[in-house]
Amino acid sequence: MAESKVKETNKSVVLRKEVQEKIAELKEADILVGIPSYNNAKTIGHVVKAVQAGLTKYFPDYKSVLVNSDGGSVDGTMDVVKNTTLDLDSILLQHRVGSFHKIVTPYQGIPGKGSAFRTIFEIAKELNVKACAVVDADLRSITPEWIELLVRPVLDAGYDYVAPYYHRHKYDGTITNTIVYPITRALYGKRIRQPIGGDFGFSGKLAAFYLTKDVWDTDVARYGIDIWMTTTAVANGFKICQAFLGAKIHDPKDPGADLSSMLHQVVNSVVNLMEEYEHVWKNVNGSEAVPTFGFVYTVGLEPIKVNLDGMLDKFRLGVKELGRMYESILPGELMWFLGSLAEKDKEDFHFPDNVWAEIIYSFAVACHKKLMSTGHIIKSLTPLYLGKVASFVIETWESTADEVEQRLEQLCLAFEKEKTYLIDRWFEAEETEKGDNENKGP
Amino acid sequence: MQGVFDKIIAEPFRDLFQRMIEFLPNLLSSIIVLGIGLIIAWAVKVLLQKLLQIFNIDNVCKRVGLTDILQKGGFKDSPSNLICKGIYGIVLVIFVIMALYSLKIDAIENLIEKFFLYLPNIFVAIILIIFGYVLSNFFSRAVLIAAVNRGIKHSGILYTTVKVAIMVLTITMALEQLGIGKDTVIIAFSIIFGGAVFAVSLAFGLAGKEIAKEFLEKRIKRDSEPEEPEDELKHL
Repeated sequence: MAESKVKETNKSVVLRKEVQEKIAELKEADILVGIPSYNNAKTIGHVVKAVQAGLTKYFPDYKSVLVNSDGGSVDGTMDVVKNTTLDLDSILLQHRVGSFHKIVTPYQGIPGKGSAFRTIFEIAKELNVKACAVVDADLRSITPEWIELLVRPVLDAGYDYVAPYYHRHKYDGTITNTIVYPITRALYGKRIRQPIGGDFGFSGKLAAFYLTKDVWDTDVARYGIDIWMTTTAVANGFKICQAFLGAKIHDPKDPGADLSSMLHQVVNSVVNLMEEYEHVWKNVNGSEAVPTFGFVYTVGLEPIKVNLDGMLDKFRLGVKELGRMYESILPGELMWFLGSLAEKDKEDFHFPDNVWAEIIYSFAVACHKKLMSTGHIIKSLTPLYLGKVASFVIETWESTADEVEQRLEQLCLAFEKEKTYLIDRWFEAEETEKGDNENKGP
Repeated sequence: MQGVFDKIIAEPFRDLFQRMIEFLPNLLSSIIVLGIGLIIAWAVKVLLQKLLQIFNIDNVCKRVGLTDILQKGGFKDSPSNLICKGIYGIVLVIFVIMALYSLKIDAIENLIEKFFLYLPNIFVAIILIIFGYVLSNFFSRAVLIAAVNRGIKHSGILYTTVKVAIMVLTITMALEQLGIGKDTVIIAFSIIFGGAVFAVSLAFGLAGKEIAKEFLEKRIKRDSEPEEPEDELKHL
């Protein structure tokens, strides 16, 4: 039996014996960089080299560990990590060889990025590290500077959580831009531009805090880890900042996954966190910027193909066919608006920000009140989301990256303004219950 | 003459009177049982109402979506009221049966026995119908959402088809359980269902020949040479 428990508590993860031996040999470390992987043999070598170069170049005086937490790859990913060596002389003119170690291990638990992170957190805790970073294994644009940008704010400036800030095409990450960023900002009051970025820096203290949460048998262990890490850090008052990492280029994420499933994963995670932290977000008004490290720049935008007619057709079809379902989720005036919007031509198609904010909040409330299956509620949002994206594309087709950011700022302000609508409806049921109980007396 | 009168008129009347005298205690006990039953049923109802209020059952039902299902099913009362009324009815029925039993009339006893033997069938049929209704709602909605997200025009037809198919299947099973027109119902269902599947297959086969050809060509083409993506927008 090559396994034994690190701790007796039910919250600890099962680490393999060889990992425990390595931990015992190292005793402790200053920096840990984790790479979760699953069949990433093609790209992980580059990521390992970038991490090693970053640690050697920027943190030569620190004891560093690279942890590859693998989900049972069959393409030799773990062998690539073990065998990848870096010729530092060809990269750096002058360098000191720091203390760099590798731990390569398959993770235990439910298959998913969250379980991989759990193993990384557990090793970080055992090694009592000061700072950690996690980077995706499919990154093609990672450079050694990413490691400095994710780790330095923790080591030198006392930050607990470093969110990534990428340079992306104006039509990349439309779920983040139209839903996740505006709602996270409005709820928790921090302007974290990429709450589900995937590459983060965090303190050893925060890693240990994550481990105290009993979420490792939920969707967090599968796919919701990114938004969970960001929200947990913000909602629990940890010190937050962002690091500008430049462009993010990676292998396409599961090209077979359909849009409604992606939307379900992301929105479901956001709503679950809303349930957990309702006592936090109900008292937050407005939002504030978070410190951003790194040299922010923009570049020209290449035109991309967008099937506007296809998106508008699906929006119209959704309003027509799912109308009866929407009636139990959305108030009458929004239903009326959607009906009239569906009749408009492409040229006159405009989805106002305040209406979109109210729709997202109404869907969150419908999940909270369990009006029907959460999966059905969120998946039925897909046509409306496509309508909003189509409207956004129409409005910003000629816009530069800066202009698009300004446009997104307006959208976020609409979410912040409409937050009272969310609070009124979210707590409506509880207020009624409370009132009923008071009327009934003891 | 006196003997004839006694035999034809007086004796039957005496018998009747005798039987009535014998029956009266049964009737009285039956009325008492019924009275006690009414009081107990009412007491159980009031007690249950208080208990359900303490546990806030109405809000729990609202949260799990049961209230919505009941309202869609045409029940206007709150779930707690429905439960109380149901339990009140059951307690009352039990006492009515006990009252009828205490009458000690053979015909009624036979009827009650038959009713009791049939009761599980009614119970199972009701459970089947409720499950069928909930399942038909769930699956038809799932099909509708998936079809709309796929961009299938007239997705509503798919929704109705799934809903009707599940309900027809459920009703057939319920009727079979009740033993109503057992063979007729199964044969009718098989004919209708088989006919519908055949008609749909035929319609798809004839009308969708070109689509199927196009689809297969696209798939084979996609396997050999990657097609240029139509939409380069990235959602995540």
